[in-house]
Amino acid sequence: MTSDVLTLLKLDLRQSFRPSSVKGKRSEKRSSFRRLIPLVALGSFVIGISLIIVLVGPRIWSYVEGAVISDPGLGATIFNAIVLFAFLSSIMVSATTVGNSAKMEYLLVMPVSMRSIFLEKTVLVVLYNSILWLTIGIPIFVGFSLISAARLALLSAPLFVFMTLMLVSLGVSLGGLIGLIFTRLLAGRRALKQVGYFVLSGGAIIFSAYWYYSIYYGDSGGQVFEWLINLARSLGFSSNITPGYAASVLSLGLLVGLPLTVQDIVLALAFALSSFALLRANSILSERAHYSGWLAVGSKRSSKKLVPVLHPMWAPRAIPIAATNTTIGVSIWYNITSVRREARVLSQYLLGPVRIVIWIVLPIFAVGEQSLVLTPYLLAVALIPFAISYGVYFAGYEIVYEGKNLMNLQLAAANMEDYVKGKIYSALPFTLGATVVFSIIIAFLSQSMLIYLPAIAASSLFVTLASGAIAANAAAIGGDFKAERMILRQRGSAAQMPIRGWSILRAQFAPMLLGFGGVSLMLAVGFFFNPLFTYLVLPVFSIVCLQIMKTYAHGAGVKLAQIEATKYL
Amino acid sequence: MIESLGLTKTFSEFTAVKDLSFKVEPGEIYGLLGPNGSGKSTTMKMLLGLLRPTSGTARIAGHDIINDVVAAKRVMGYVPEEPVLPERLTGWEFINYVADIWRMPRGSQRQQDIEELLTLLDISDASNDLIETYSKGMSRKISLVAALVHRPKILILDEVQAGIDPRGAATIKEILNGLRSKGATILMSTHILEIAEELCVRIGIIKDGSMIAEGTMDELRMMAEGQRNLEEIFLALTGGPDMQRIAQYLRGSGESS
Ligand SMILES: Nc1ncnc2c1ncn2[C@@H]1O[C@H](COP(=O)(O)OP(=O)(O)O)[C@@H](O)[C@H]1O
Ligand SMILES: [Mg+2]
Repeated sequence: MTSDVLTLLKLDLRQSFRPSSVKGKRSEKRSSFRRLIPLVALGSFVIGISLIIVLVGPRIWSYVEGAVISDPGLGATIFNAIVLFAFLSSIMVSATTVGNSAKMEYLLVMPVSMRSIFLEKTVLVVLYNSILWLTIGIPIFVGFSLISAARLALLSAPLFVFMTLMLVSLGVSLGGLIGLIFTRLLAGRRALKQVGYFVLSGGAIIFSAYWYYSIYYGDSGGQVFEWLINLARSLGFSSNITPGYAASVLSLGLLVGLPLTVQDIVLALAFALSSFALLRANSILSERAHYSGWLAVGSKRSSKKLVPVLHPMWAPRAIPIAATNTTIGVSIWYNITSVRREARVLSQYLLGPVRIVIWIVLPIFAVGEQSLVLTPYLLAVALIPFAISYGVYFAGYEIVYEGKNLMNLQLAAANMEDYVKGKIYSALPFTLGATVVFSIIIAFLSQSMLIYLPAIAASSLFVTLASGAIAANAAAIGGDFKAERMILRQRGSAAQMPIRGWSILRAQFAPMLLGFGGVSLMLAVGFFFNPLFTYLVLPVFSIVCLQIMKTYAHGAGVKLAQIEATKYL
Repeated sequence: MIESLGLTKTFSEFTAVKDLSFKVEPGEIYGLLGPNGSGKSTTMKMLLGLLRPTSGTARIAGHDIINDVVAAKRVMGYVPEEPVLPERLTGWEFINYVADIWRMPRGSQRQQDIEELLTLLDISDASNDLIETYSKGMSRKISLVAALVHRPKILILDEVQAGIDPRGAATIKEILNGLRSKGATILMSTHILEIAEELCVRIGIIKDGSMIAEGTMDELRMMAEGQRNLEEIFLALTGGPDMQRIAQYLRGSGESS
């Protein structure tokens, strides 16, 4: 069994890190230079960190040493966070792997037990999830262990690697198990499952946003982790029996020369064993899921019925402003329908901006009391990331995820400009929804802003239109039209942007600039002169946005109509 | 009418289609035959304007596929070798979506047409299921409905019969014959030689991207002397099975228990 897993693993890793392009007609001719870029980047990153440690290490070493010795809980908290992150990001991993097992039919027919295959896929996810921690951690541990005077310090780096893999395994396999159990409970109930996916992924987003929030909020007076530690303590974490604690004493502890007790070693071994057991349980349950077929797509189809299927007259509802043009109308319908039927994607799209808002708005909170003056302004612009993201997701990303369907559009010689516009319009209802939510919040928190509310609401709709068009245009230039929508469906859990290179920067930053710049300007003239001025700027801003939409939707349409089939087939 | 004028397609260094010229007249079904990888699908995709020819061009109902591609597309219907379908739509939704994209007026006429096609091909029952639950043959059938829904004058069918049940295949044959007698131009590829022999007015055999024989069944018979049916002709022209190798393999595999 182990050798099977290793063989499979080698195969997968070779596919991912193949050094030079293979020969063959069908294989993409990516230059070996471009393939090397990620490796070079990774290498320079590691070397960079090592250099920094070697340079500044001796000066901060005593501080690091002191911090670790005085509070063993600190290390435990950091390491427990690794488990938590791995857990959160892999809740649906196993279920998705099994659900898509048809895509690896070629593997399933091999003379290897099914559970080995699923185990290998999980190990792969563990490796992908560990890369980040290992690239950051290894140079730090190697660097410091050279400086440290502790006798066993040199052991800390390899132990760190081992412990990190163990922690990530724990998180990933627990997440995988939860996902499998969850799908088992809801097997065959398609609608419920969709709701469940929505709630689970929505929960994960809200939780991680709250996490960032707390990191920021605690970040004054050097209490970086105080909130975390308190929360963890109250949950019973960072006491002596968490996996993070075991990892901490064996790596950080050895680094600074803390005494190692027998209990610590036993504890670490116990966690290592249970991570193996969990990985195994995960693969066994995956195998069961596969054989029993509870993850297979449910079909209501029965044998030939006598009653013919009746269809209501075809007239899908669309947004009224666009109902006049069939291409725009059907594009809106298609976009909303295909997103709506992937509940996880929908919740990613709808709640994803929460994370951006946290990152953008809260650092200013952390500055201190004086920022309270800014609170109404912050509340107002917090809506902008939503307006932008909805445009970017629904028009930019979704154009890319049309993938092979572009063929149908090209064959029909559809007016791609209209089609792009439909995608952009399909984001509007969601921006409108976000606007309503924000209006309620603002009405409660800051009545002084009420007068600006209509302006903010209106401009956020226009920002969505402009962002969508900019993103669609960027997508038409740099889209990876072979990308799959489901992030989790991709190999490992490393999310890959559907838009590549400079285009993704353009798709994200240009709308940011426009949105924040425009709305800030509008509010500024209102604050400093008279709210009336805000409403004088609004029409100008709206016209600018509409003009941008026109130009870029046209550009995107022209480019999409000309894409050659090799790009998406 | 389809006129292929020296179509050539090169992928990086490999030339998949070499200087291919042929003509398909209205009221004619033209069969494109050839071994796997001989360039049939690539040729079709160029005719459809999905791939740009490296050199050469083609005219579809008089429209040049390079300079006037939109007009050319407007008259064509296509069933791809691997149907391209959005998995999260139902069959019914997909067909209507395609009809909307082609700007077919909504209403009861269109509704009836679609229902009729679905029923003809025995997929009416499944029309409310998500496409991801469809079998290969059903996907191809729904893809054929999508190709026919906008009533194209020119049909390009890439192995449309593959994986279709006998009743479906017979239905398709009747539909194609009917459309042909109404003046449609049909270009099809297939590996089922009986179908080609029965259905196609003229046949082109390509190998390694070049046309090696072309004509009516009678003309082909003349070309490959002594061969009676299309299978014999095809094998004579493109190379039959390697009997020596096969014998060697069978000898090596020993007695099976
Ligand atoms: N996008 C592509 N990139 C590289 N080679 C391709 C591509 N599409 C087709 N080919 C090659 O062109 C040749 C002809 O393919 P195709 O037209 O699909 O053959 P057929 O349909 O006759 O079986 C094959 O060798 C195939 O590998
Ligand atoms: Mg083919």
